[in-house]
Amino acid sequence: MPDILIISSELAWPLAVLLAWLAGEFVHRWTGVPRISVYGLAGFLGAQALPDLFATDSGTPVTMLANVAFGLILFEFGYRVNLRWLRVNPWIAISGLVESCATFGVVYFISHLQGMPPLTALLLASLAMSSSPAGVLRVINEERSSGQVTERVLHLVAMNSVLAVFVFKVIVGFWVFQTSGSLTQAASHSLIELVASALLGAIFGMLVPAVLRGLGTLARDGTVAFALVVMLLVSITHAADLSPVLATLTFGLTARHRRVSFARTQRNFGAIGEVLTVLLFVFAVSTLDWDRVLSGAALGLILLAARFVVKTAAVAVFAHVGGISWRKGALIGVAMSPMSVFVILLLEQTKYMGIVLVDELSALAAMTLFMEVIGPIITQRALIWARETAKEED
Amino acid sequence: MPLEPFKQSQRLTMGVELELQLVSLSDYDLTGASPDLLHLLERKPFPGHVTPEITESMIEINSDVHTKHNELVAQLQLTRDTLVQAADTLNIGICGGGTHPFQKWRERRIFSKPRFKEVSALYGYLAKQFTIFGQHVHIGCGNGDDALFLLHSLSRYVPHFIALSASSPYVQGADTLFNSARLNSVFAFPMSGRAPFLLSWDEFEHSYFSKMEHTGVIKSMKDFYWDIRPKPEYGTIELRVCDTPLTVERAAALACYLQALCAYLLDRREAPPVEDDYLVYNYNRFQACRFGLDGTVVHPKTYESLSLREDILTTLRRMDQYAENLGGSAALNHLVQVTHTGSDAHYLRDQFNASGSVEGVVDAALSRFRGSIM
Repeated sequence: MPDILIISSELAWPLAVLLAWLAGEFVHRWTGVPRISVYGLAGFLGAQALPDLFATDSGTPVTMLANVAFGLILFEFGYRVNLRWLRVNPWIAISGLVESCATFGVVYFISHLQGMPPLTALLLASLAMSSSPAGVLRVINEERSSGQVTERVLHLVAMNSVLAVFVFKVIVGFWVFQTSGSLTQAASHSLIELVASALLGAIFGMLVPAVLRGLGTLARDGTVAFALVVMLLVSITHAADLSPVLATLTFGLTARHRRVSFARTQRNFGAIGEVLTVLLFVFAVSTLDWDRVLSGAALGLILLAARFVVKTAAVAVFAHVGGISWRKGALIGVAMSPMSVFVILLLEQTKYMGIVLVDELSALAAMTLFMEVIGPIITQRALIWARETAKEED
Repeated sequence: MPLEPFKQSQRLTMGVELELQLVSLSDYDLTGASPDLLHLLERKPFPGHVTPEITESMIEINSDVHTKHNELVAQLQLTRDTLVQAADTLNIGICGGGTHPFQKWRERRIFSKPRFKEVSALYGYLAKQFTIFGQHVHIGCGNGDDALFLLHSLSRYVPHFIALSASSPYVQGADTLFNSARLNSVFAFPMSGRAPFLLSWDEFEHSYFSKMEHTGVIKSMKDFYWDIRPKPEYGTIELRVCDTPLTVERAAALACYLQALCAYLLDRREAPPVEDDYLVYNYNRFQACRFGLDGTVVHPKTYESLSLREDILTTLRRMDQYAENLGGSAALNHLVQVTHTGSDAHYLRDQFNASGSVEGVVDAALSRFRGSIM
């Protein structure tokens, strides 16, 4: 008799993804809640019910696929960022900087008051800066929204994600320097890693469009090429301990500015992109542990509230000078609530360096779980209130 | 609501309305950006007027009333510069062109204004497919009779304006082989086509409009989608067949050509219009839409087949004196150039061949509209 446990463990992931998708479709249809909220919830419940089946180590195919899924989303994200706009309308970049720095400051301050060790507080603060690019982009695509809230959320989230990676790596470098005393080791874990990742993305971002132009292929083939290169980038960064976030984001950004058109039908990288997204959101939350979430819940909620207020206020302040209404400005801040996947994948990476922070940052676990599920709903509401969604109101 | 009296306006004054496309700079598709753009424009003084259109990815600009080409073109350029700057602030692309080359009508969002919602409910997909972009030119008329005389006399010249302005070769991602595919969307509406052949305003008012109103089919002049229609509240006739050109300079030139033609027609040197002129009207219009300047039209009086390009050049030459008197010679020279270099539709096809994609076509339209502003 075949071992029933082995079979079920092999079946666990495909089944969980399928069930999450089904649940997502049903709940979305009935309540209009964004699908990714449901995927996250399904992943979390599955992992809590059957922890052994969902145990994942880095290096398993599931982790790899989740990384690719995230890479694809980041590529698309980078592709939608217009650097020229940031030059023409500097208020966007200024509000992004202020918003990120203020979030960092406030989260660090509160964590410090709560008696958290400085290094942990700093890392937590750096991670809290970022919004979830995956969550935001998925909601925007699901709602087919367009307008200033949509555009600015995309640009601001790209900014705060890059800033978060940057600050996070610098702090890690600092930590490495403190513990090892080696400046080279510290630099290789922070600055060199950042520069190398961005450079890698930029090089591919120039190469791929050039090759596509040489081939004279149509936009449709472009999508396949971009997807394959994203997979390659994720593998390279994984093997070389670089940042996949930065590499794929700069890949998208460079590819956009070296433009080969990217037709609308390829949003989300089509059906395969959808499949990977379900997996990504199920996976991300399955790594969280309920006990840890509970123990960090109180601080997590306080930090979330503070982060929410700071982001909303910081973006809204620059709304009028930036050319939009105060109302839309505030809604941009609100829409930037989701945090998640990103943070978890970042932490996953530090495990190799011997920093096992996930265990210390129970507040972060609580924040991620909460924002994984509630965040997309908040973003969706903000877009609807801004009247930027495609569904017609009655 | 009975038809309002025809307001007397200064003869041969002109005004231009342009419907413009708002596109996303990420994927070049139309984007519902007009509420944000209008919000920003409200904050600065704006030359002319700007109003929302039926879908949120479209806005309309109007010039003031002008008599001279240089004033009209200067105002349109100023308006364009203001718009382009505002659009830059908001990361929106803005351009001309009669159709968007690949937008899917299903994805358009109707601007929330009661009249637009009603139109959408009545016409179904036609309303969203009406996401097309035209130029309307108003010419001031001394009285209603003059307006109807001009309206019918101009019918012979309608193909000129279609061919010269044509800028809508692509629809839903494919080359339609038309130069102005936009007009095909207009013809789908029940009240489109030509005005009934009546030359007296009194008759138009009492034996046509009031009857039509009585049938309940129409409520006001707004319900007619004619190629040329009288606009009694402005005291003008309105030519509605032009695609929005890719540049405001061409829009101004087309308006001045119409102005010169009206001046010429009011001299009444041509045989007066008759109902039979319309025998060839739809055929000629089709030729202009389909083949543009390369079309062949049939002269309504002589039934002679003419190359549309030749016919335009002959007419432009005949207008020289009138244009000079009105200060519009530069405008006519501009149009002579068009007959040599090809219309905007021709330019857009070239851009497709160069870039290999409909997105490349939009990109070219965007930079053409900006003119000199980098």
